[in-house]
Amino acid sequence: MADAAIHGHDHHDERGFFTRWFMSTNHKDIGILYLFVSGFAGFIAVAFTVYMRMELMHPGVQYMCLEGARFVADASAECTPNGHLWNVLITYHGVLMMFFVVIPALFGGFGNYLMPLQIGAPDMAFPRLNNLSFWLYVSGLALGIASLLSPGGNGQMGSGVGWVLYPPLSTNEGGMSMDLAIFAVHVSGASSILGAINMITTFLNMRAPGMTLHKVPLFSWSIFVTAWLILLALPVLAGAITMLLMDRNFGTTFFDPSGGGDPILYQHILWFFGHPEVYIIIIPGFGIISHVIATFSKKPIFGYLPMVYAMVAIGVLGFVVWAHHMYTVGMSLTQQSYFMLATMVIAVPTGVKIFSWIATMWGGSVEFKTPMLWAFGFLFLFTVGGVTGIVLSQAAVDRAYHDTYYVVAHFHYVMSLGAVFAIFAGIYFYFPKFSGKMLPEWAGKVHFWAMFIGSNLTFFPQHFLGRQGMPRRYIDYPEAFAYWNYVSSIGAFIAFASFLFFIVVLFWTLLRAPRTAPANPWNEWADTLEWTLPSPPPEHTFETLPKRSDWDKGHAH
Amino acid sequence: MPYAWIRTTATAPDHSGAVCPSPAPLAELRLWPYRSLPPQGFVVFFGVTAALIAVPLLAVIGSPVLWGVLPFFIATFAAMWWGLKRSWSDRAVVEELRLWPDRVTLTRTGPRRNRHEWEANPHWVRVTLYPRGGPVENYLTLSGAGREVEIGVFLSEEERVALRGELQGALSGLK
Repeated sequence: MADAAIHGHDHHDERGFFTRWFMSTNHKDIGILYLFVSGFAGFIAVAFTVYMRMELMHPGVQYMCLEGARFVADASAECTPNGHLWNVLITYHGVLMMFFVVIPALFGGFGNYLMPLQIGAPDMAFPRLNNLSFWLYVSGLALGIASLLSPGGNGQMGSGVGWVLYPPLSTNEGGMSMDLAIFAVHVSGASSILGAINMITTFLNMRAPGMTLHKVPLFSWSIFVTAWLILLALPVLAGAITMLLMDRNFGTTFFDPSGGGDPILYQHILWFFGHPEVYIIIIPGFGIISHVIATFSKKPIFGYLPMVYAMVAIGVLGFVVWAHHMYTVGMSLTQQSYFMLATMVIAVPTGVKIFSWIATMWGGSVEFKTPMLWAFGFLFLFTVGGVTGIVLSQAAVDRAYHDTYYVVAHFHYVMSLGAVFAIFAGIYFYFPKFSGKMLPEWAGKVHFWAMFIGSNLTFFPQHFLGRQGMPRRYIDYPEAFAYWNYVSSIGAFIAFASFLFFIVVLFWTLLRAPRTAPANPWNEWADTLEWTLPSPPPEHTFETLPKRSDWDKGHAH
Repeated sequence: MPYAWIRTTATAPDHSGAVCPSPAPLAELRLWPYRSLPPQGFVVFFGVTAALIAVPLLAVIGSPVLWGVLPFFIATFAAMWWGLKRSWSDRAVVEELRLWPDRVTLTRTGPRRNRHEWEANPHWVRVTLYPRGGPVENYLTLSGAGREVEIGVFLSEEERVALRGELQGALSGLK
């Protein structure tokens, strides 16, 4: 029998820095770690884009020279274009953003921190597995950076094959860089799958009594749907890149026509993973945006159940539309018609979400605090990206737009702007909860407007470039594309400046500002369980089951 | 409702005459931690998961690529299965309190074959509720036979408060 243990209740946190942060099994600490490491990876990936936009600012090659990469253009010196360096930058920008920035931030960071709190669980179902997931993610990131710096194709460092790693380009790329990149994706995939198993188990089996699936807050639902997508999609990727690795190193010919393989089949299985992947990236953002909009409209979310089932529908539909990424590989007309119509159907649940967010604001008392601004930005940008998605879904139109800047503009509107604006909405919304400190409102608003203007200036002109026929993934372009490329580069510099400004504000607040945030710094419509805890929450939370009145407000979230 | 009286002193039949080697207890209380996933939920979850996994496998059936993808699916599916089962077994705790006129026993079984027992004379058993100071708020303990043991630490606060009254009633019914 467990003998009774009566002692003082105020057990102080006696862990040292190393024990707390390096050996942590606490879901809140691991969430914070995820956020910081993904922020670091994000900084690298964003820095690449700035260098790329510098290069694309003017026609000709000024910076990425075979004679050595430059940061200051020098017209007097010889400059032979270094296409490999360019390809490496686009590849690692893609790999880092897809695997090491957005998913770890939204799913690993916010998901880990908030999902157990929102469902009233004391921690994740498997806290040590959670620690393993985080460190596998860090190892994957280290492998990715090692791959960038190790010998690759064309006698230079890194692999320039694009984040999709299509064979035969990826199977023929020289050096060990490509193998390291494959390992990086493998390890990060293992981390995501273990994380997903943990999240699913926690969500399914550790909800507070009475919290049925139709009463769970929307963010927790979004994390569950995301975890499920990861569970279904990542094994396909693991299989695909394992075969790639074998084709490279062990002489198999899974994707090599000379031995009976099929490179198109790689594209199919890559996109079978890749399309759910983009929903894995955006769905947790949907969850955060729902909470932010409901809080700052001072109304419960409009249409809770349609919101939940729209996320589920988007997730399921995400698995049956993959070939719209590859209309030009020579599919039959019937196949193309199917993938086109299935893709268009996704607009229905997405529309349900967009209109429900608007209906939540309708008649509400909308308050433009910083998180709400970011949510507004998200709503606008994601809708623009969604509309261009419908344009691209048409197989016939895609003939013209395939691999042009129109596609680049489209997916950056939904992911770079959609998901990143959701991340920032989440950071400004939850920063007081995580740290106990308030980020200055004025700084948040400056950051928002600079980022909003900068990113629109970056990506909106890329629609024009795509319509003019500028292909993606090239270091240089003809004179005719110069004007909008110049505008786009200016936008990228503004957006980067706003990111630097945010980093300064963040660290200034973390290091200097006093801990003044109350348990709920917003209003009574921020009514999920995490807002009943002090800011920052103590080390152990919900060791006893939460009171039903704390989370069940009669309306669903 | 993670506790239930299997039988209570109020409903127990009179036991007179024949002395059995181990007569049925007068009252019996069973407590278990709440878990939100019912067995049907487990079945539905794995049913839908398996159906969705079949989509890419159908696409590559008849190609060697199937054998590249299948092992990863099996591993993931098995790990997920293990995860949910393990989560159940982690919470498979049952506490059983049995009351006889001259004996009270408390057994705690699980997680995983871990078994603890406590036995005392009901006449001397004291039920204590510590609103503060315990590992949880409203910590409920039984003391007797020189030991103080916890009961229902996994219940919600209100349940422990309610249970205290019921336990005291049941114990005084024996005296």
